Amino acid sequence: MRAVTLGLILVSLLTFVGGQLCFKSAADEPGEVPGPPPAPPQRRAVVFGAGIVCMTVSFFVNLHLLQQLDLSFLFPFQGLSVLIVTVGASLFLRERLTVPLVIGTLLITVGVMLVSAS
Amino acid sequence: MSPPSEPKRFATLSPIFQVLLCAVFGTTSEVLLKVGAAHTQHTVSPLPWVDVSGLMSAWTWVSIVFTLLSLVFWMSALRTLPLGLAFPLSNSVHVLIPLSCWAFLGEVINGRRWCGIALVVTGLLVVARTYANLEKRL
Repeated sequence: MRAVTLGLILVSLLTFVGGQLCFKSAADEPGEVPGPPPAPPQRRAVVFGAGIVCMTVSFFVNLHLLQQLDLSFLFPFQGLSVLIVTVGASLFLRERLTVPLVIGTLLITVGVMLVSAS
Repeated sequence: MSPPSEPKRFATLSPIFQVLLCAVFGTTSEVLLKVGAAHTQHTVSPLPWVDVSGLMSAWTWVSIVFTLLSLVFWMSALRTLPLGLAFPLSNSVHVLIPLSCWAFLGEVINGRRWCGIALVVTGLLVVARTYANLEKRL
């Protein structure tokens, strides 16, 4: 795999994870989930917009990569996002990590990496 | 048992179906995106790194519709589910996509890939147990 291709996969992955964290921040409704109080509506709209921008960048980079690689090879790389999102949600959104959740997340990540290495 | 718990129970059952629908629509979107990308593989893009040539295929636009549908269900599920729980569950796409590629695009799944799929399914079951525990608490 060329360094440029690897770099583009990383860009696609990180923008995807950033988008998910933005979406969750924007989606929280007062009293729906435990944790810090949700931001005001205007701020949530901005965060949602940032999420859309991140996902759009991820989409076009992914589209470019799909023209070069098989989908079944490329897509599993996004499996790494499971681990990053789970850790990110704990760090930035103060979500609780439980032992089964961590074990399940690791199993999914290893499974996805195994698929991607095939 | 008590009537006040019913709305909460319904509210916690609903997001899991929304996550599953999100995964199904996401899988459909990715397969169609691959078809669209393959159709425009030899089309020259005006921008080398942000490839917009794929937009010249109708399959890509249908894929975008499915992506939006997936996003709608995802945003709805995120209102009630923690991201750290919902996101691993949404990774059922890593089982659905290789199977779809094998079934519809003729791509090959070897033994190692099958093992990976089995691990993902095991992980999903472990995470689903967390969801069941959350549902009990609610």
